[in-house]
Amino acid sequence: MGGARSLIGRAPHHRFRARAAAFSCAMSTPESQTSPPAGIDSGSFRDPESRVFFAGDDVYRALSADGLGDFRALEETGLLGDGRIVRSELVDGVPGAEGVLPTETAGVLKHELIPFISYPYEWTFSMLKDAALLQLDLLLAALEKDMVLKDSTPYNVQFKGGRAVFIDIGAFERLREGEPWVGYRQFCMLYLYPLLLQSVKDVPYHPWLRGSIDGVKPAEMRGLMSFRDRFRRGMTTNVFLHARLEQRYADKPRETKQEVKRAGMGKQLIVANVRKMRKLVSRLDWDPPEGVWVAYGERNTYTDEDAWRKDDFVREVATSRGWNLVWDIGCNNGRYSRIAAEGARHVVAVDADQGPVELLYRELRDSGDETILPLTMNLADPSPGLGWRGVERKALPDRGKPDLVLALALVHHIAIGGNVPVAEVVDWLAGLGGALVVEFPTRDDPMVQKLLAPKREGLHPDYELEFFERCLGAAFEVKRSERLESGTRVLYFAIPKRA
Amino acid sequence: MTTVLAYLDPGSGSMILQIIAGGLAAVAVTAKLYWNRLLRFLRIKKDDPQTEAASKPDQA
Repeated sequence: MGGARSLIGRAPHHRFRARAAAFSCAMSTPESQTSPPAGIDSGSFRDPESRVFFAGDDVYRALSADGLGDFRALEETGLLGDGRIVRSELVDGVPGAEGVLPTETAGVLKHELIPFISYPYEWTFSMLKDAALLQLDLLLAALEKDMVLKDSTPYNVQFKGGRAVFIDIGAFERLREGEPWVGYRQFCMLYLYPLLLQSVKDVPYHPWLRGSIDGVKPAEMRGLMSFRDRFRRGMTTNVFLHARLEQRYADKPRETKQEVKRAGMGKQLIVANVRKMRKLVSRLDWDPPEGVWVAYGERNTYTDEDAWRKDDFVREVATSRGWNLVWDIGCNNGRYSRIAAEGARHVVAVDADQGPVELLYRELRDSGDETILPLTMNLADPSPGLGWRGVERKALPDRGKPDLVLALALVHHIAIGGNVPVAEVVDWLAGLGGALVVEFPTRDDPMVQKLLAPKREGLHPDYELEFFERCLGAAFEVKRSERLESGTRVLYFAIPKRA
Repeated sequence: MTTVLAYLDPGSGSMILQIIAGGLAAVAVTAKLYWNRLLRFLRIKKDDPQTEAASKPDQA
């Protein structure tokens, strides 16, 4: 820490200070109808005390006077040295810091870069659970120092490989006497209910979180539960009673605040509630089906010639130069992500099946890996831009272009399973902008046969090796190709022609 | 005591729930919450008009 602390004098402690002073008129320019002004992060506007912006290749956070005061208080607690919080320091003279907030910018933080941004609807169960525990542990640590986290959103957590990092420094604020745990409701909606859905109902929460940026409301969650669920640990209070009270007090926000204040909400009560929540979350579990465990256990014992040759092919490409960002799309158990990591700074490993990705995450987390980021997402329906203006949460390709893409055992799933024309699959791969290692299983391949079996005869006439090669050759310069021993799978290494 | 001025709406029902669900730490607060309600019901105690006014900025 340290840096230039003399940026602005002591922050006046007043919540409604000079509100309009720096409100930027640039917000109304026509080109800003689909995104905020250049340089300002499109997703960190909800808290008026701090906002992320970019200058050059670096990421900064503008703080209001109150935000700066909270940051100084946070510095004094010693919590910032904790590896669980993104490294940040106060800096001076950063261009573009003014006009970022609705009030004047009183201080600027420079943040450590997170290699690749990801969102809770792309995380596996244990990733969301670990993020929840991180949130609660930091809240408890903050409360010990008379500070608090002003919200409870998983969007404040990011992953560096298998390690969860809390990124929203602006969420720490000085505890105000008499306040409740303000983020409790948000914690339920974005952490607890999704985890319960997966853990208790075996219903993946990803579409729910992707469908609503604010998560699942208490009344909605209650509607999804059965009578029996009423008696499960934590459900009565956090789901049923919560929904009932929310309904009952919905029309009385002011009276309720007064009542709560008069009753004397104290720090001990927040601590007690957070501890109870921590205990509840730490007991939630979800395991992939048994078949996934078996397949995962066998991942390093492939003995067939195809697997070895595929390993060698990927390894030769991966180590041929220092790749910055590799996407392993259709990563399954992460076998090739690990090979790619031998030659890459960062690897994003994505698969539609949460099971193997969950097991991969557990291993990466337990081994302290910070290179491979495991995510779960259907690549025939990748994460779009979401939230305010459709850019608050970015679409997958808008979060950093890969310079190498591994698409192994994927094309047939998208083209046949997802009914995407082969030419479009190749066009999408070319659009990613990176070099490509792609595998094409021919129509004789057992997996392709399985995918074609339930379909009408004559469907997918474009799924032919020659046609695929023609499409690939139009967009890429094929550097190398190899037909594997079984004869039904062909590997290609190709460079985009536009590059 | 300050008024709740968070940018995030803590939710009225969610606040009451925290008082009820806080276990041992909540006993005294819950008792006070219901005691105040009883006093108001019996018209022994009235709403504090100052507090009423002070709570308005949080609606901004």
